Amino acid sequence: MRVNSEILAALSEATPGLRRYARALGAGAAAAVADGLTQSALQSVGARLFARELRPAGPEEARLEAYIAVTALAARKLVDAPPPGPRHPAIVHGLAALPFEERAVLLLISLEGFGYDATARIVGAPRESVLAWLRRARQALASDAGAPAEMTETTDAPRAHPQAPHLRVVK
Amino acid sequence: MSPPSTFVDETDLHALVDGELDPDHRRRVEDHLLLHPGDAALVEDWRRQNAALRAAFEPIALETPPLSLRTAATRAAAQSQGPIETGATHWGRPSGTPRPRRIEDLRVRQRRQAALISALLLVSGLALAGLAAFVFAGGRSEAPRAPAPTAFSQGYVSRAGLTYATYTVDAHPVEFDATRRDELADRLKTRVGFSRIPDLSAQDLRLLGGRIVPGVSGPAGFLIYERADGGRVGLYFERAVFAAAPPAPRGGFGVTAIEWRAADFAFVLVGPLPPDAMQAAAERAAALVTTPTP
Repeated sequence: MRVNSEILAALSEATPGLRRYARALGAGAAAAVADGLTQSALQSVGARLFARELRPAGPEEARLEAYIAVTALAARKLVDAPPPGPRHPAIVHGLAALPFEERAVLLLISLEGFGYDATARIVGAPRESVLAWLRRARQALASDAGAPAEMTETTDAPRAHPQAPHLRVVK
Repeated sequence: MSPPSTFVDETDLHALVDGELDPDHRRRVEDHLLLHPGDAALVEDWRRQNAALRAAFEPIALETPPLSLRTAATRAAAQSQGPIETGATHWGRPSGTPRPRRIEDLRVRQRRQAALISALLLVSGLALAGLAAFVFAGGRSEAPRAPAPTAFSQGYVSRAGLTYATYTVDAHPVEFDATRRDELADRLKTRVGFSRIPDLSAQDLRLLGGRIVPGVSGPAGFLIYERADGGRVGLYFERAVFAAAPPAPRGGFGVTAIEWRAADFAFVLVGPLPPDAMQAAAERAAALVTTPTP
């Protein structure tokens, strides 16, 4: 049975972004493993497409499935990834220090440009959890950079979720 | 005087950075930032984070991916490989996925064949050893080195009974009839080593003749006597190499067998006569075979 060529073309076009996302999930330290993850994810999606287990409505949904596959694989394979080298920028070191969920959510939204709903679908978590992880990730990276992480007290609305202090030894 | 900003919280600030706000909401949050420089700095900091992330990883997306990556989905779909092991890394080796499995299957098959061959060899060896042990033990059990008296006695009696059953009913029961008594005696002397032919006419047994028959351990003599009513009695004798026989007569299949030893020979008288008559005939024959021929 033939797989829709439009879907396959979309996956092919998404490959550079998938590779970038996988490399960032590995925090720049495991390039070969990240490329392997990307290839395995694409092969998995291709095989499921052929077996008709996967019937995406369109190219964008196929792209989403590829990101879901990469994220699921990375959650298992990048647990023991080595830390980034000294030549990597500070943002990569901060990224490597984040928990996997926060790192994935931050990268999907900030680097890959997904919306909150799509990100929730990719990581398989409710939208509220995605927002919480995003908040913590940005706060942790801001703390690493020494920037102020709290909103000014002039905001009138009370905080729905008060931020816990993130204390981190950086040197 | 600042406008009301009741509906702006941190989530709105993130949504502003991430482009998740509709135009009205976005305008309201931007107005909020104009009046709250601290929040504006926060938003600016997050935008810098995003820019730093893109600067760090955008070059990867601009590279041309390896061919194995670009064709991964297409190849998997076209080759109909079925579900693959999603945790494996197969980069840099197009169409290399099934090969390790084939090698592994081949090795498993080879190991199974080797195990099967080993088991067959083991079973064959055990069977040969068992057969050899059986043959060896069987040969030793028939060896005359350490005989059991009862068994060998039964051997003579059995052989005598078999000989009686074979020849007395035959149309030519004897090799030499009574008219060729001397010839029979010579043949018995030569082959069996004993040539005294007892005369049992006192027991109403007329000599019919005799022959050389196969014994237990060598040639044996077999004399046949006939009664007036047609009943035949056989006297079997063979050089005895075994121990003495039990004195009790043995019966079976309508005949009586009496065994005794004399002059290093085993004698067995076999016949259908009543036990008393058989006993009398045996005693008469035993007396005659030990008497030197005049």
